[in-house]
Amino acid sequence: MCRRLSLDVEKFQECTRLAVCQSLLFLPGRCSWISLPVMALAPPSPQFVLRGSQSAVNTLHFSCRSKAHSPPLLFSGSLGGLIHVWNLETRRVDTTLDGHAGQSVYWVKTLEGQHLLLSQGRDLKLCLWDLAEGRNAPVDSLSLDSVGFCKGSVLTEGTQGCWLLAVPGKDMDEPASSSGPLLLAGYEDGSVILWDVSERSVLSRLACHEEPVMSLDFDSGRARGVSGSSEKVLCVWSLDEQQNLKVCRTQELTNPGIADVAIRPDGKILATAGWDHRIRLFGWKQLKPLAVLDYHSAAVHCVAFSDPGRPGEQLLAGGSKDQRISVWSVYNQT
Amino acid sequence: MAVFDSPQEAFGILRPVCIQLTKTQTVENVERLQSKLHVVSDSALQDLQEYVLFPLRFALKTPGTKRESLVQSIVECITFVLSTTCIKKQDLLQELFSELCLCLSSPNSQQSAPVSEELKLAVVQGLHTLMHSAYGDIILSLYQPCTLPHLGFAISLLLTLAEQEKSKQIKTSALKCLQVLLLQCDCQDHPKLLDDIETKQLGDLLASFLPGISTALTRIITGDFKQGHVIIISALKVFYKTVGFIMADEQLARIPKDKEKPSVEHRIAELMVHRDANWVKNTGDKLAALIEKIVEFVSVHPHWKARMELIELVQDLLMKCRQSLLKSVGHLLKVLVGLVNDENPDVQCRCNNVLKNFADQRIVVESRALTDILSENLHSLATALPRLMSSQDDQGKYSTLLLLLGYLKLLGPKVNFVLHSVAHLHRLSKALIQVLELDVTDVKIVEERRWGPDGLAESSSSLSEPPLFKSKSQRKYFRFFTDERIFLLLREICRMLGYYGDLYLLVDHFTELYNESVIYRKQAAMILNELIAGAAGIEVEVLHETNSRASAEELKEIITSILEEYISQKNWYLVTSNEAEGNREELTMKHSDLQTITSGVHTCHLVPLPSSSELSPIVCSMNSNIWQICIQLEGIGCFAHALGIEFRLLLMSALYPVLEKAGDKTLLISQVATGTMVDICHACAYDSPRDLINHNADYLVNEISLNLHQMSLSSHTPIVLEIMFQNSDAGLLPLVEDVIQDVLFSLDQFHDERAASFLSVLRTVLAALARWFPEAKDDKQLQEQNFRKEKYDLHQGSATLGKGFAFTTPAEEIEQFLLDYLRNKDVADGNVSDADNEEEQPLPPETEMNDVCPDVEASLPVQTQIAKDVMERCIHLLSDKDLKTRLKVLDVLELCVTVLQSHENQLLPMVHRAWLPLVHRLTNDDPLAVLRAFKVLCTLGNKCGDFLRNRFCKDILPKLAVSLATQAPVSARAGPVYSHTLAFKLQLAVLQGLGSLCKKLDLGGGDLNKVADACLIYLSAKQPMKLQEAARSVFLHLMKVDPDTTWFILNELHCPLLYEPPHPSLHPVSLSGMAKPRTEYTDNVLLLLAELQG
Repeated sequence: MCRRLSLDVEKFQECTRLAVCQSLLFLPGRCSWISLPVMALAPPSPQFVLRGSQSAVNTLHFSCRSKAHSPPLLFSGSLGGLIHVWNLETRRVDTTLDGHAGQSVYWVKTLEGQHLLLSQGRDLKLCLWDLAEGRNAPVDSLSLDSVGFCKGSVLTEGTQGCWLLAVPGKDMDEPASSSGPLLLAGYEDGSVILWDVSERSVLSRLACHEEPVMSLDFDSGRARGVSGSSEKVLCVWSLDEQQNLKVCRTQELTNPGIADVAIRPDGKILATAGWDHRIRLFGWKQLKPLAVLDYHSAAVHCVAFSDPGRPGEQLLAGGSKDQRISVWSVYNQT
Repeated sequence: MAVFDSPQEAFGILRPVCIQLTKTQTVENVERLQSKLHVVSDSALQDLQEYVLFPLRFALKTPGTKRESLVQSIVECITFVLSTTCIKKQDLLQELFSELCLCLSSPNSQQSAPVSEELKLAVVQGLHTLMHSAYGDIILSLYQPCTLPHLGFAISLLLTLAEQEKSKQIKTSALKCLQVLLLQCDCQDHPKLLDDIETKQLGDLLASFLPGISTALTRIITGDFKQGHVIIISALKVFYKTVGFIMADEQLARIPKDKEKPSVEHRIAELMVHRDANWVKNTGDKLAALIEKIVEFVSVHPHWKARMELIELVQDLLMKCRQSLLKSVGHLLKVLVGLVNDENPDVQCRCNNVLKNFADQRIVVESRALTDILSENLHSLATALPRLMSSQDDQGKYSTLLLLLGYLKLLGPKVNFVLHSVAHLHRLSKALIQVLELDVTDVKIVEERRWGPDGLAESSSSLSEPPLFKSKSQRKYFRFFTDERIFLLLREICRMLGYYGDLYLLVDHFTELYNESVIYRKQAAMILNELIAGAAGIEVEVLHETNSRASAEELKEIITSILEEYISQKNWYLVTSNEAEGNREELTMKHSDLQTITSGVHTCHLVPLPSSSELSPIVCSMNSNIWQICIQLEGIGCFAHALGIEFRLLLMSALYPVLEKAGDKTLLISQVATGTMVDICHACAYDSPRDLINHNADYLVNEISLNLHQMSLSSHTPIVLEIMFQNSDAGLLPLVEDVIQDVLFSLDQFHDERAASFLSVLRTVLAALARWFPEAKDDKQLQEQNFRKEKYDLHQGSATLGKGFAFTTPAEEIEQFLLDYLRNKDVADGNVSDADNEEEQPLPPETEMNDVCPDVEASLPVQTQIAKDVMERCIHLLSDKDLKTRLKVLDVLELCVTVLQSHENQLLPMVHRAWLPLVHRLTNDDPLAVLRAFKVLCTLGNKCGDFLRNRFCKDILPKLAVSLATQAPVSARAGPVYSHTLAFKLQLAVLQGLGSLCKKLDLGGGDLNKVADACLIYLSAKQPMKLQEAARSVFLHLMKVDPDTTWFILNELHCPLLYEPPHPSLHPVSLSGMAKPRTEYTDNVLLLLAELQG
């Protein structure tokens, strides 16, 4: 099944030219949300720790939702330019992918199950990997011209073999049109902007941080998103029917610097990766602080939740500058 | 002898004798006839059969009493005729039959006539031959309803003979004859081709005799033991042939419901039975009683052939009459089940075959009734089991358990019917648990301790030993039995359950019991282990293949859950020793450290516990805990075997606990854990435990790091870390880097409580680092050596000069010396020529080397960074208030220096910082610490050399010299016990180390003098021998550093020679040691001077 895939690149006009884009997120279609109680505190100790990436871990991505016989995988991109594919069953590295010329990899994401992988690196390249049948070479790559740290975002809904990929850019190429998706982008000036991709227009702009937005995540069920910046504040905003972004609440933190935020796919838990070496968990509904996961000995760079597999088996992974990836099984009792 | 073939000739010969016999019936005449018969061919005799028989029969029939001998010879003669001819007429057969029978009957009574044994035998054999000489359809004429009385008479006659006679021969013949008479003969030439209808008729007929035959035979069989097995065998054969024939399910199935109209007269018809269902049931019931008797009696018969025949009986009856003899099936099966492990291998084998046969034909499995019977038996056995187990002796227990095993084997997959009944399962499990109760009163198990850290290393070299799992591990002692065979049987029973039973159900049940009470825990764990082994089909002998076995996936799931249970906090971390951890450690520390100082060897000791009587309940519970851990460890090994290579995945949770136990202080636990590791290696295809640890270091590291983060739980973590380091290679380093940081962090936080264990970890870490990265060390040393050598050569040069001056004094050498002196003086004055200067640079490569390594802050290799970090901690801990800790720190410090030696830029600053506390250790601390510290100092001198020279001379040397000087008189006076004191060891160590230290530090004149002065007194003959030797070694080293001074010092003490000046213009040499009489120093000085010269 060797398919040659080409990447549709859609770069965004930077109308406002305010700042460098820091974070991008596509909004998938909305669905009704379910409210569930949040559990009591769990003893904060990771289920296991993955060692051996040999440089700081920049990004993590789970891929568990595949056929029964293939093991759940965790992809990690490291500062050393390697992408490690971890087998979560044996807890060991299955494959190591080297395609970014030793430059830091800061975004990985699978498409269509486990076999197609996108990776974005500081060598200004976006690679597409076909991993089926144990292959480990990139099949396609795309040059980027942004030297920032913004991660890409990909919209996988729609027909098969057709994805909409957003990557940060600095000039205004003409984008190909699609079915009117929305894109959220966080900027260095602390603002979050909602874009209409097909219209290529700003729908709403929200200046919620004083410092650069480091990361954001959006829960389409509740139509609410969260963004973290290098300051001590976590900001939750909502998107109303008129496509306006509004600040709902802010959460004060003890230490400044949020490298990554992630909302669990079931919309119950929010995890933040802190520069203070800690992963913090919040109830997503009320933003109630639940737990501080204190394991790492250096700044945590990323957090990721596994795809919702069987209930009670959702994992949280945190990748840190101390080269370790901690995997946690927390708040799993339904 | 001529044989007469034609009937005519034969007739000619036989006629006279026949006539004569008819006339006068004497024994002689009969014998004459018989002798003539011998020369007649068979075919001729056949033609003349009736003719010949006539006079004989006539003789028998003549009324009046005859002499027994005559009758006997007549019968024998008839037998002879019949044996070579065959009977072709029905009436002849019938007549002969009754005539023969009549020979033994007394006319007036029912009892057989009181005749001689020989006659009885002759008659029985005659009957036997008669039956064989009749053709198929002719013989059937004997089995008509009308002949019933005759038959009955003959049968009862034979039975009586078999039962009441004394002669074995008659008994056996009678039984054989009976067998023939019942048409069940098994000899080859006997024609017995009966079709179905004939069979049925015959069956109907013989059914009348069944009660009589069976009861009589039973009496015979269960009679006297002494009657010999041959009779029992024959009787058994007749019994099962008869019963098997008459009660055959096949025949009975065809019996019509209603009785047929009897075709014979009324009286005889009354004798006939109709084998309808009712009759079958009644007869079956009665037979059941008889069979039970027989079975009970014969199954314990001492002769194996009898037991063998019993198996045949069981097989025959079970094959033919399962339905008609339903009531007996239980008894019959019990025989098989009981004999399946008979002591005789033939019986065993036969029994197994029969069982296999049944299993193959799926007789048991498919027959509901049989299953019911078996489960009923099993249930009653299970009920009785606890009682039997406590009352029977070992042999009895053995056979009872054999029975249990046999039932399980026979039931096969159907065992689930039994297990699914809660009552049954409870009974069975309670019984097993009760039997398996361990005896936990042995104190030794608690007392035996493991010493020395390298138990694992020994076993990790190879896998030559068989897996623990198969070999006999540490023997378990049980409360209720001592016979090892019983334990093996119990194991097999459990495996059988695991193999056939519903694994989920069983595991659930026993896990429940495991959790229910401490009393059950060990047994339940043992059973669980065996269940899993059985489920995986390890070493199970089965009769039925079952397809309901748990799949690999299910098995894995089950094993995972049991494993979780085993290694959970409350079941894994049990109290196994009664001292507080700390006390014990202190005690052992003292021991082992003293030993490392003296010999460096750890040996095994037995520290006696306080008197066991007062502690015994505690000892029992500790013993019990030890066993529980051992059983669980064995279980893990067993699981590994069950899963094979699949177990590798479970290693991530299982390996760490096992390693933890491998490092346990209790000998038994650590032995068993090591065995478990070997098991795992076998199962998961690792070459050795070392290989296992090495390949799974990542899993271990994970556990270790998590445990270090939760200090409260992890008192064992350092042990595992230690073992891991001992067994891994450099590839481990990237993985453990952060763990070591964790250790250091924990050490910083908890250095009060846990410093000791962490320091031993650090020691292992650094020892491993030193082992893994030796190449740097080699370079450095090589370089060092070269350097030293050059220096040494220089000194050698001057040494030879000195020597020349002292002893040989050739004029040229003096001249050369003067020239050198002048040139040196010139150089000292600054008048140096260029050429000279170039020659004077002996060490350009050295400086170049230094230039090559630029002094930049490059990132350090991991091992260096670690060593540096560790050394930092050591500096802080060097002045810890606990002596034990200080000693350990000194150890670690030494290793740090070794690892850091190739990185002088890191090493020297650290040494600088460590110096002050080290000096304190050396100068005012416990002698033990001084000893260790001095060793560290030697290493430091070795690695840092010049860097330490000034410090050494300033801080340490004076004190050392003083202490040596003050101790000298003490040791000089001391007796032989002194050599065991610490002071002596200290002196010795200092003297032994000082020499090389001086050399390494390249000490200069004044300091060398100090050293020499301090050591000089030890050259005295009054000192202990060892100290003298050590002192000599100091001087030997000094000779290498500065031979001239040494020579001078020694000669000052004692000078053996007078030095005549070569020229009168020179002053005579006068040394203070000259011309002294022999003193206490003389011997040693002379030795040293000889050394210096040679």
